[in-house]
Amino acid sequence: MIKVEQLTKHYAGTVAVDNLSFNVSEGEIVGFLGPNGAGKTTTMRILAGYLPATGGEIEVAGRDVFRESLEVRKRIGYLPENCPLYLDMRVDEYLEYRAGIKGVSPRAVRSRVDGVKEKCGLQEVGTRIIGQLSKGFRQRVGLADALVHDPQLLILDEPTVGLDPAQIRQVRQLIRELARTHTILLSTHILPEVETTCDRVLIINEGRIIASGTPKELEQNLLTGSRITVDIKVPEERARENLETLLGVKSVSTYMVDEWTVAEIECDEHEDPREAIFTSVVEAGWKMRELRQHKKTLEDVFVELVVDRNGGDGVERSGIQPARSELGGAS
Amino acid sequence: MRSFLLLWKREVGSFFLSPIAYIMSFFFLVVMGVGFGFTVQHLTAGSMSYEVLQNIYASFFPWLSVLIAVPVLTMRSFAEERKFGTIETLMTAPVSDTAVVLSKYFGCLLFYVVMWIPTISYIFIINKFSTTKIALDPGALLGAYLGGLLIGGLFVAIGIFCSSFTSNQIVAAIMSFAVMMMLFMAGLVSHISNIEWVARLTGYFSSLAHMMDFSRGVVDSRPVVYYVTSTVAVLFATIRVVEARKWK
Repeated sequence: MIKVEQLTKHYAGTVAVDNLSFNVSEGEIVGFLGPNGAGKTTTMRILAGYLPATGGEIEVAGRDVFRESLEVRKRIGYLPENCPLYLDMRVDEYLEYRAGIKGVSPRAVRSRVDGVKEKCGLQEVGTRIIGQLSKGFRQRVGLADALVHDPQLLILDEPTVGLDPAQIRQVRQLIRELARTHTILLSTHILPEVETTCDRVLIINEGRIIASGTPKELEQNLLTGSRITVDIKVPEERARENLETLLGVKSVSTYMVDEWTVAEIECDEHEDPREAIFTSVVEAGWKMRELRQHKKTLEDVFVELVVDRNGGDGVERSGIQPARSELGGAS
Repeated sequence: MRSFLLLWKREVGSFFLSPIAYIMSFFFLVVMGVGFGFTVQHLTAGSMSYEVLQNIYASFFPWLSVLIAVPVLTMRSFAEERKFGTIETLMTAPVSDTAVVLSKYFGCLLFYVVMWIPTISYIFIINKFSTTKIALDPGALLGAYLGGLLIGGLFVAIGIFCSSFTSNQIVAAIMSFAVMMMLFMAGLVSHISNIEWVARLTGYFSSLAHMMDFSRGVVDSRPVVYYVTSTVAVLFATIRVVEARKWK
């Protein structure tokens, strides 16, 4: 459905997209993941035919995006970042207008508009003025607009930004439903979003793809070595001495909670020393009240790839660290 | 063609939804009305028997308000779309840049025409209440409105051209006001300049002088060609500006 080869985009003085190549096949939901300013929006704008590329070949549905721009645009439903809408129009009016200029035949306009309104849950606000709608409803109007001409490909630039958690869930649900009949490329910098909605993830940073695969693959391939938390009733030093000698343990850091030592253990690649830890603690005759392995998330992959590359493990890394600990519920 | 009509309808609709258009046409009619009041005063004092149309249409009153109204009406056309980002949804819909520019132009031009319509009543008022049926030459009347349309057509094109550069409506309004003012005031230069070719050259651009002729019923082909071709040229330039994002 999308074929991008060596896409490059220069803005005056800076390189926004650098030699990007990827494919999206029909029926896939592909998530574009990256920090702000990574080149996600630029890439999507080029795909949607809003900006030209400096170099490279882009095909959508077998047509060149730049040379056959009008034909390609008919096949794309594009929701730009921040969901721009004409705030002075009513929802029905706006959708009918958009359907018209996107080439929906006059007879079909009414039924198409009704169809997308139902899909996006807009039946009750049809006569409302868009400017008076809440952010969540506006986002849905934007989605309805992207869908109204029944495009083969949907390009959604941060479709859930600025929504509350309930609305985010609704939009994700909607995207999953749409995926049955459309190919979707969506961008986000929210990690759980790709984990829950996408078949495949492209992680992009500084205009390059730095990793791609299913969320599971990325977790498995890119984050080797896991973390274990143990909670033992013994002084810190003794716990550390004991644990550090075990096979598969890379490093141990500890802190005390009352009389209990909480040890955070970094493991070697592909090692699971939980059994060894248990045995050694029991043999030493200490009391244990927690032993758990932390599952790596896409967030860890992301941090590993993006934050570490950008800034070493200085400030940014420690900024992420609390989130990790929260998962363990220890600190 | 269908997408042009839809875009145009949306443009026209947006005028009738925006308070600024109503405020502007109110202001326009107030200033026109003041000018008309002066004309009536002159007529009752008997100090003027002909040139009624010139007095109404080629005085400073209508043109002062046109010079303010047109920048205000046109400033939103592209600037607002840029500011709110709707230019992105607009330009990623399967519509050509030309259709977008022309729809904005003709949408604004329609509102400009609508703004002028109430002024037709002045003629009926004069005819009804004057005892001596002074010459209200229909040719001159048509000439006056043709002049208004031609000059307005160019001014609206200039306004939209200026708006296509920027996302700031105020900047757009000031730029177009400056350009229109220059064209309009060219006539003034032709009066005060001692250098002959400067006087002649600026004379060709003087909208005020053209309007004097038109409202006398003199429709010279030179100003007609000048307005039509410049309008087309400015619209063409606007299309280029809108396309320019694709050059970068």
